[in-house]
Amino acid sequence: MSAVSHAEMMRDNTIDDPTQRAPLLTDDSSFGDVTQAVAGVAEAKPPIGWLLGFGVAACGALMLVSCIGWLIWMGVGVWGNMTPVAWAWDITNFVFWVGIGHAGTLISAVLFLMRQKWRMSINRFAEAMTIFAVICAAIFPGIHVGRAWLAYWLFPIPNQMQMWPQFRSPLLWDVFAVGTYATTSIVFWYFGMIPDLATLRDRAKSKVAKIGYAIFALGWTGSARHWHRYERAYLLLAGLATPLVLSVHSVVSFDFAVAQLPGWHTTIFPPYFVAGAIFSGFAMVNTLAIPARAIFKLEHLITMRHLENMNKVILATGMMVGYAYAMEFFTAWYSGNPQEVFAFTNRAFGPYWWAYWTMVSCNVISPQFFWFKKLRTSIPVMFVLCIFVNIGMWFERFVITVTSLHRDALPSSWAYYQPTHIDIMMLIGSFGLFFTLFFLFLKFLPIIAIAEMKTVMPQAHAHGDHHGGPATAAHAHTAGSH
Amino acid sequence: MAHHKTPETSSGEQKVFSYLAEYSTPHALVEACKAVRDAGYKKWDAYSPFPVHGIDPAMGIRPTILPWLVLGAGLTGMLLGLVMQVALNGFEYPWIISGKPLMSIPAFVPVAFETTILLSALTAFGGCLVLNKLPDLYNPLFKKKRFAKATDDKFFISIESDDKLFDEHKTKTLLERTHPTVVEAVEDDRHVNAALPKGIIYGLLIATFVSFVPMARIALARYSKSPDAPLNLVTNMDYQEKYKTQQSTAFFSDHRTMRPPIPGTVSQDDLALDDHLSRGVRAGTNDEFVADFPPQFQVSAAAMHRGKERFEIYCAPCHGQAGYGDGMVARRAEELSEGTWVPPTSLHDAPLADKPVGYFYNVISNGVRNMPGYASQIPEMDRWAIALYIRALQRSDAGSVEDVPSNQRGALK
Amino acid sequence: MSGPTLALLPKDNYDFSGPGKKLMLGAGIVGLLALGGAAALGFSAGDDLGRFLHAYLVGFYFVLTLALGCLFFVTIQYLFRAGWSVTVRRLAELGAGTLPVLAIFALPIIVSVAMGNHELYAWTDHAQVEQSHLLHHKAPYLNVPFFLIRCAVYFTVWAVLSWFYLSSSTKQDGSGDPKLTRRMEIVSAPGTILFALTLTFASIDFIMSLAPTWFSTMIGVYFFAGACTSSLAFLILFAMALQNSGRMVNVLNTEHYHDLGKLLFGFVFFWSYICFSQFMLIWYANIPEETEFYLHRFQGPWLYFSWFLLLGHWAFPMAGLLSRHVKRNRKALAFFSVWLLIMHFVDIAWYVLPAVNMHGDHGIPFGPMEVLCGVGMTGIFLAVVGFLGSRRSLVPLKDPRVSEALTFENI
Repeated sequence: MSAVSHAEMMRDNTIDDPTQRAPLLTDDSSFGDVTQAVAGVAEAKPPIGWLLGFGVAACGALMLVSCIGWLIWMGVGVWGNMTPVAWAWDITNFVFWVGIGHAGTLISAVLFLMRQKWRMSINRFAEAMTIFAVICAAIFPGIHVGRAWLAYWLFPIPNQMQMWPQFRSPLLWDVFAVGTYATTSIVFWYFGMIPDLATLRDRAKSKVAKIGYAIFALGWTGSARHWHRYERAYLLLAGLATPLVLSVHSVVSFDFAVAQLPGWHTTIFPPYFVAGAIFSGFAMVNTLAIPARAIFKLEHLITMRHLENMNKVILATGMMVGYAYAMEFFTAWYSGNPQEVFAFTNRAFGPYWWAYWTMVSCNVISPQFFWFKKLRTSIPVMFVLCIFVNIGMWFERFVITVTSLHRDALPSSWAYYQPTHIDIMMLIGSFGLFFTLFFLFLKFLPIIAIAEMKTVMPQAHAHGDHHGGPATAAHAHTAGSH
Repeated sequence: MAHHKTPETSSGEQKVFSYLAEYSTPHALVEACKAVRDAGYKKWDAYSPFPVHGIDPAMGIRPTILPWLVLGAGLTGMLLGLVMQVALNGFEYPWIISGKPLMSIPAFVPVAFETTILLSALTAFGGCLVLNKLPDLYNPLFKKKRFAKATDDKFFISIESDDKLFDEHKTKTLLERTHPTVVEAVEDDRHVNAALPKGIIYGLLIATFVSFVPMARIALARYSKSPDAPLNLVTNMDYQEKYKTQQSTAFFSDHRTMRPPIPGTVSQDDLALDDHLSRGVRAGTNDEFVADFPPQFQVSAAAMHRGKERFEIYCAPCHGQAGYGDGMVARRAEELSEGTWVPPTSLHDAPLADKPVGYFYNVISNGVRNMPGYASQIPEMDRWAIALYIRALQRSDAGSVEDVPSNQRGALK
Repeated sequence: MSGPTLALLPKDNYDFSGPGKKLMLGAGIVGLLALGGAAALGFSAGDDLGRFLHAYLVGFYFVLTLALGCLFFVTIQYLFRAGWSVTVRRLAELGAGTLPVLAIFALPIIVSVAMGNHELYAWTDHAQVEQSHLLHHKAPYLNVPFFLIRCAVYFTVWAVLSWFYLSSSTKQDGSGDPKLTRRMEIVSAPGTILFALTLTFASIDFIMSLAPTWFSTMIGVYFFAGACTSSLAFLILFAMALQNSGRMVNVLNTEHYHDLGKLLFGFVFFWSYICFSQFMLIWYANIPEETEFYLHRFQGPWLYFSWFLLLGHWAFPMAGLLSRHVKRNRKALAFFSVWLLIMHFVDIAWYVLPAVNMHGDHGIPFGPMEVLCGVGMTGIFLAVVGFLGSRRSLVPLKDPRVSEALTFENI
């Protein structure tokens, strides 16, 4: 009855045929092949592309470190921040990177809870991306306070002035939210990696690698009694990480929305920020996965269907972001508050009109191309569009932060913010740091969840009777069970 | 960590740790597990590169208690989060910010939520490891080359010799009947001392102790006094490139950084011609303070309210709500006892209680000792209103029973 | 194709023709009587129907969001190509199928607005609009003709969408054509967008404009959360009732209830998140034009009502539904479903009823009239569900993914 044959499906797994589930691996790999494909990446000598990329990224990271040193030595005056734009690129970069950091946990946790099996190929990637993005994000609020060496005042630690943090301030909520998020993400990432580290340990040839992987694999044997608790703990972590994703970017949005500033204070901010974070995060996963699968020959594990699914999520969250933009404008007018009306007209038609329209075209218009299957399954098109989305989401944070501030309630203090070269170098440098960490991850750790990947393979099913027809019944079954 | 177990047999012959059977499909593993379970073994385990569906009932594994541990941790985290915020912002450091009450439950929700998640997540992670008795870097099975495939594409069952039912022949036969690809004995080498070399252990211990030294130095510095100037690593906030009031400069010919008024101009402050109203002194005298309010100032209930309000904004932080010199700032400074603080004077005690009202007006305007002048912040009429309120405070403290109307004296009891 | 199918399912397992008609008659009569009673009370109150219209709006919006939640459930299952939910999907299609009939029951509100009754919406009153600068500013949106046009658009979109899904899915019962599934999948993406926009603006028009000077960008998301919560509770209860009467026996099992329960828990959490975010931002910023809304609900007996809503819609069901044992226990899950349906009604009452002009009395206008309206509208809803159910099978017999729904297991 199936309209599309299994062989055809293996060639192009983006075909939508309701009578069968598309295969998640586009070849008939064995368990051993999957191990070899993933572990081989960490064991082989790094390709020249990796060395080049790592070199460039490390230079960028060095530039960031030097800029931070200069900033601490000279003070925040080296940035373009001024009155009334007291928050500018620093906070823009912070929110941008935190947002990127959200898709990792979303893919891992939310898609896991929804039994979306296709996450298995990309979740490790996405989780690594989360952690590196959160590291990049945490730098900016730390240094923008001016005296970075006193950043420990943010934590409830007894200090010499006998003062305590102000828990009624959203900026302190941020400390707790981002801190919890970073901790939980690292735990989730590492926890998921333990069985795969054991695989690398058991395959390692050199003594140093073996000891290194053995320490971090904690002596994992693959015991069924261990797997039982492991799966339960993983489910619990996923269940905990899901509301955490919501809460973290909501708290970031509270930084703005609890204020009375027109353009910042609007009740839709929490879900709108979360949708935007998922949007930018998925775009970043695609941006990273597209070159990585080509360089490391993982096209049969990270298939076109995976990329297409992510593009669909980008389209959906892009629509949500567009919905929020529209609601903000409508409510600004509907409120009848002249300040609100001014803030939004100023956004679209004031001195920063170019930033606003860059944001709208990148975030709302560019994902619309994904309505067409031809475009959302074309590698060059989706790569370009995902980069557009990344740019657009940076501009969204810039628009919210800077354009709301630069014309405040006192016209005599209106000003036009311009970044200094330190601002620009720090943004580029933060990408350098991000990619440095990401290149290290690609070289030394299992970049795809090997053990989880095996659970979605047709052979993983314990009932022998489903062998031979992997595309139909067994797939239908594994897609609905774990 | 290594197992330290004395060998049970004194002879040189190797003891068997377990029998290990290898399978090539998850299906075969599950079927074999059922056979071992039904045979009644307790100390045995299955090993697979991924969680095999349906193996829990096949092995008779009971649900873990982990979810309950996580629930407990979550509730603890929530409670700790709330208690921390209420204690620190409600009691330890009560400071009103942006008009929010000291205990603002809506504002405490985000942090309490995060601590809930944090403690739960750490418990899910740590609890799973503890229940699995990990990390355990040594396992006799690791000696088997074949077993390295347990994290790749092979499936194993190991029945340990510690099991009551274990019998070299019977156990081996049982496993052979479950269609394994191979069955073999695993040598028990748990008696071999696999501890780290002594040198490394001592090295680690010393390093641990040394790492405490900086912390100890900091802790010591917190509770000791030193005549030396504090270390100032980053000075840009403390020493700024600017002129202060009494410094000299080479830029101007008179070497003064403070510039005198431009000739022929009059400062706005000098326009205050009414000495009574603007300075609180009697005109024509040698700046003798007035004892009455200026005629422009109406002594009324409204003025009294205004004075109370201004007093509580500008004066109460140091002088206290009732003027005893016990405001928040004063109390804080006393607690810190750094020796540089001159406590604010009580408005009720001898030297001040008898001062004329003009004196108070003058002090509010120009300051006294280390109290700064408030002329730039409080307009003239408000300064008089504060002086009026101070008078009322003093009166309330020095009052006697006779001041209370006779028909209300009963309420004082 | 391999895997289990419904080909051998006995007919009485999915046949609802007899009980459906009974339900239509029984619930329909009860519903009409209750609505009639409420209307009688309303006409005798002598307040220009002020209280009755508000009570009717509560009942109507309760059922409308319920049906819209069902519609969203259907579209999102197609959008996600979900397999597990196929066997409960028809029940949601039936719930959504009531939308064309609900258009008729929107008439009391629409007609009263069109006839110039100003009790419900102050912005329909020219005298008030002329006096209020804000209402004057909003008049290009909040005016009677545009309101009527918008209502026509909403109900057309909803009727077309719900009928498209119900009829296509029913058609598949006969032909088993997978192309129908494909077509429904394709429509689901724009369908979801239309759903989001219409629900948002309908909530602005029907609910937010009751207090025409108040505004919140969150309002659409808020009612989306409520719609999903209530429709999931309805699906759970409907499925259980059918199974108790001996239908759908081999089609639904604990795994389905567990999944529906997880979604229910998820949306309870989501509702709480949205509710808290809206409150916290308004409380924190403390801007008079926004706090007015909460101020009314924190005064006098309304404070207790608000606490009841908070604890009843958030704390109690969230703590109760946390455990997987509760979600897999039918009685417990049924209890929380009934509870959440009531709380959804309370939620809408909390939005609408403070707008009733109580003529100086600060009590809560929650009495027989409000209850009768709730019961009445629920009766109408069930009657339509019964009618639609009696004309088709209760499960999509030949859906290509039905085998997945029959075999899946939770972790």
